[in-house]
Amino acid sequence: MSDPTVAEAWVAAPLRRLMEDARLISGVLLYPSGRAVGQFGFSNAADVMSICALTSAINASARELGRQLDGKPFYEMHHAGAERQVFMARAAAGAQEFLFVGVFDRESSLGVVEIYFGEFQKALEKLLPEKQTPSVGPTGDFEGELNRSLDALFGPVGKR
Amino acid sequence: MKAVTQVVGTLSRVPGVIAAMVVGASDGLIIEASQMIGLLPGAPDSRKHTAALAAYLYSKVTRASDAARLGTPAFMRLEAQKGHICVVGASDVVLVTIVTPDANLGRVRLDMMNAARDNR
Repeated sequence: MSDPTVAEAWVAAPLRRLMEDARLISGVLLYPSGRAVGQFGFSNAADVMSICALTSAINASARELGRQLDGKPFYEMHHAGAERQVFMARAAAGAQEFLFVGVFDRESSLGVVEIYFGEFQKALEKLLPEKQTPSVGPTGDFEGELNRSLDALFGPVGKR
Repeated sequence: MKAVTQVVGTLSRVPGVIAAMVVGASDGLIIEASQMIGLLPGAPDSRKHTAALAAYLYSKVTRASDAARLGTPAFMRLEAQKGHICVVGASDVVLVTIVTPDANLGRVRLDMMNAARDNR
């Protein structure tokens, strides 16, 4: 397993712990706007870009679906494929919200991932820098934000 | 199979059993669980953690047993300082009990094996 690469240093330790404890194959932590905060298991910025865009869109859809069906947004989603499974959830740290998407196989289980994701959330809550200003949502420059976060994770375009 | 509620009810009445659970073997999620005996108000409920990790551990033990050409494990008991965790596989589920150190483990084992056999 490769170490996580992060755009914000304070998430590195909890992300590594989640990766190791929950035996995740890959994962991305991002803001609901789609800006990546950290990742592991990917070597290609384009893959992370796609995942961020899709996760952000899925979260928005699922949140609204939850409101329509249950009166409140869904907090997590799980998709079990034939070989691999996807776990997607929201994590709150103070007023800041994050999204996480992780992939695992038979070496782990949904129950195990849920447990360690709960601990990951607590770690984020504890480690969130006090000076960090909560994200107020998309600025309208989705592509620019995403590219800047990918530069932080994989290096500037041309050097990746 | 007996209704999972009945299985949990039967196992939770065995002397020394603190909690009994029926857990999904592949996902480690609780299907049915008894109340945890002696849990103080406000104290963290560890059943979800125990269920997921016990099911995970049982899957690894199954692989180890298979690697050693011993076949499917019949009964798994984890002895700890303050008690035991017992696990029995039953098709797509595992039965998990949390047991006090002074419990009659023979009785716990027998009842868990019987419950599992009824599920096969």
